[in-house]
Amino acid sequence: MSLPEAPLNRDPSAPGADMSRRSFLRTSAVLASGLAALAASLSPLRDLDDYTSLDRFMQKYYKELTPQEMDRVLKRIANDVEREYGVRPHVRDLKPMDGVEFVYALNLTRCIGCRKCVHACVQENNQSRTPEIQYIRVLRMPHGSLDIEKAEHNYAPESVPEKGYFYMPVQCQQCKNPPCVKVCPVHATWQETDGITVVDYDWCIGCRYCEAACPYWARRFNFTKPSIPKERLNPDMAYLGNRPRRQGVMEKCHFCIQRTRVGRYPACLEVCPAGARKFGNILDPNSEVSYILRTKRVFIQLKEELGTSPRFFYYFDV
Amino acid sequence: MNRALRDYLVFLQRCGRIAFVGDRRYYAWMGALTVLCLVGLNAYAKQLVHGLITTGMSDQVSWGVYIANFTFLVGVAAAAVMMVIPVYIYNNEELHDLVIFGELLAVAAILMCLAFVTVDLGRPDRFWHLIPGLGQLNFPASMLSWDVIVLNGYLLLNVHICGYLLYCRYRGRKPSKWFYIPFVFVAIGWAVSIHTVTAFLYVGLGGRPFWNSSIVGPRFLASAFTAGPALMILALQVVRRVTASAPALGSSGHAAAPGTSSARPATLDDLEKLAQHLPEFRPVPMEMRRKLLASTTILSVPAGATLLRQGDLDAHAFFVLEGEIVVKREESGRLRITRTIRPGGQFGEVSALNSTPRMATAIAEEPALILRVPVEDLRRLMQQRELGQVIHNRMTERLMITDRALLTLRGIVQVSMLINVFLLVNEVFKEFYSGDLHSESSKYLFLGLHGYHALVPWIWTAIVFNLVAMFLLVLPLSRSLKWLNLTCVLCITGIWIEKGMGLVIPGFIPTPLGQIVEYRPSVNETLVCIGIWAFGLLAYTVFLRMSVPILQGRLSRANEGRHLPAAGSEQRAAPARL
Repeated sequence: MSLPEAPLNRDPSAPGADMSRRSFLRTSAVLASGLAALAASLSPLRDLDDYTSLDRFMQKYYKELTPQEMDRVLKRIANDVEREYGVRPHVRDLKPMDGVEFVYALNLTRCIGCRKCVHACVQENNQSRTPEIQYIRVLRMPHGSLDIEKAEHNYAPESVPEKGYFYMPVQCQQCKNPPCVKVCPVHATWQETDGITVVDYDWCIGCRYCEAACPYWARRFNFTKPSIPKERLNPDMAYLGNRPRRQGVMEKCHFCIQRTRVGRYPACLEVCPAGARKFGNILDPNSEVSYILRTKRVFIQLKEELGTSPRFFYYFDV
Repeated sequence: MNRALRDYLVFLQRCGRIAFVGDRRYYAWMGALTVLCLVGLNAYAKQLVHGLITTGMSDQVSWGVYIANFTFLVGVAAAAVMMVIPVYIYNNEELHDLVIFGELLAVAAILMCLAFVTVDLGRPDRFWHLIPGLGQLNFPASMLSWDVIVLNGYLLLNVHICGYLLYCRYRGRKPSKWFYIPFVFVAIGWAVSIHTVTAFLYVGLGGRPFWNSSIVGPRFLASAFTAGPALMILALQVVRRVTASAPALGSSGHAAAPGTSSARPATLDDLEKLAQHLPEFRPVPMEMRRKLLASTTILSVPAGATLLRQGDLDAHAFFVLEGEIVVKREESGRLRITRTIRPGGQFGEVSALNSTPRMATAIAEEPALILRVPVEDLRRLMQQRELGQVIHNRMTERLMITDRALLTLRGIVQVSMLINVFLLVNEVFKEFYSGDLHSESSKYLFLGLHGYHALVPWIWTAIVFNLVAMFLLVLPLSRSLKWLNLTCVLCITGIWIEKGMGLVIPGFIPTPLGQIVEYRPSVNETLVCIGIWAFGLLAYTVFLRMSVPILQGRLSRANEGRHLPAAGSEQRAAPARL
């Protein structure tokens, strides 16, 4: 290698020791102040507590985890939750059941727009409270129109229902042909055999392409670290369901996987005072949802023309 | 093998070193950019800690200025390489040396694109999930996975082409065509693909009628081909301003008039004539001028006469007193004009000083009067402070950025802008004439919706800019550089707004559930953007700082171990050239 050139040395014919010392001093001064400026600009990172664990960084994709690895991961999650919330959670990796395909049916004639489902969902699924993330959005529509563009999101009357309006709760439609799954660049979201589209919160890179792709505005992003009051934490958790999320990842309605995969109803259904919500296995001809879809003369799949083929049906008592 | 590696490492080391050397203006510019980069880095550090809540984005408008800038810059990257087409397909000579600047701009633009998508990620620590083999790249289903592949591929292609050509120039070797021509052609196709894929990112979303329109792809290309070359026109002039004063538009193609050459000794009047055209000659003292008369010669030549020939060996330099001289270099069997010299200009001095064969042929474009100076006298003249400086500067400014090259680019901008505006008209017609419900986003963008109209002033500014630019481009007025520069600024700003804010944001407003939530970038978000732009400019400046001396021949293996000359110093590093 050739000797390093001394660019700051203007007179190459007389590179005296004094000159090179001066240029060395100047270079080191520039270097030192540069490094100091760099350190100063990076100083907010001192408060970074989310990127620390190598385990988390290296964690494998959900579908590639062996049962032993999954056990370790679940244990780690339980420890993390216990450390943060002071509650030992019951975290499981619940698999879809054979011969089950969940569908939801919602009776628009009955819905009164009370938004109890919205809040029950937040409580059940450990969503962030500040800022609050909600999976269900109830639209108030004027009688005689199903045009979503005329919907009111922020209605706040003294009491519901109001005259001249009907209400339409919208949440993830669990499409058979989900655009969000197609666009995800890393397979972090997919459709399970029971029809539920799930998110691997530990694999999502947070690009929000799925959020742009969803025609039902059903996906939510953790714009900051979710905050849940300790006493409100629901300790009954599933890996693909309601375990606490981290900053910078997507989440969405998963038909309360931690309940429905063990034979319970979703929280939004249980809380509904009007009995507008029906849920069940479409592959079972004796289920309530099968009966509804067989017998109701009108039911609607939202934005049917997009070809997404929702598993969420709206119907009327006719 | 070992030696080749060593050579390459020295090359890299010298390139790296030169990035830290420059005059006061250079340090000021780089210092300012570095400060802005650090400010952006600081803002990004805050975003990493607190999350994307530090931006103006929301679940309703989930992409903002990051993705808007990304989209714009993919276009710049694509279009910068498109300069290659006139050169390699239509053999446009003027642009030949400039292609590398286009490719370097593409590299800088892609780096900025990658930075913009990275800062947009919620979990940048999981970037490895995108790496095929390591992660789970959803290819080919996700258009974003296509974008990952085409953008990185494009970066590699351009780094290879630029790096190879520059290294060959550094070594003084002729580049092997097999090593770069196929890549150049792949890069042309690839350039179209990066922008098409980026358009498909939006077009593919059925739930967003504003984007779900087949015209988005063509519009992307048209606007990219407008903004990219417009940016090149400005960048090239900066390069020209910083490295050299350029030759004016030369008028080649004069028929050689019959006539005869004659030679006579020079007189004091001849030297006075030179002083008129070359003010720095004026301080040369009378005593020295008299001495010059003994050795210098005045050549009077007809149009078409050859003054020196590529490959010849002699020890004279020349100054033009009257007429115009063109310098042509034979390259791959074709003569190409490398520059035109007007009265007061010099040629032949580099090879004379270096005692190397002539690097090009000089031909009188019209009847001309030339002062021929032996190299010893030239050396003596160069000891005159001002004269030496100007002669030296000219020797190092052999990188030709001609006005004609800029006007060729203007032609590209002109056609693209016309197409761009035409496509915009198509889109606006389709959105508004039928009046269906899917045009809510367009209504929001152009007219405002239900009392919300944050984007309306922006889009109309963009439209006015684009239309004014279009008219200026059609008028001959924009053949003057002053107007052309204004036009370019209008094009770039207009398209930046139209394609960034005007395309990305309204796609989210209203939401698929009909809610209107507006978006305004936060201060922190804006600082991150400024930081990335500063980083891109910094990268491009460094690329130019390295490549210009290589293209000029001032940084080459031949002068390894020597310092780059400070302006005006006697020690030259320039190898044989002309």
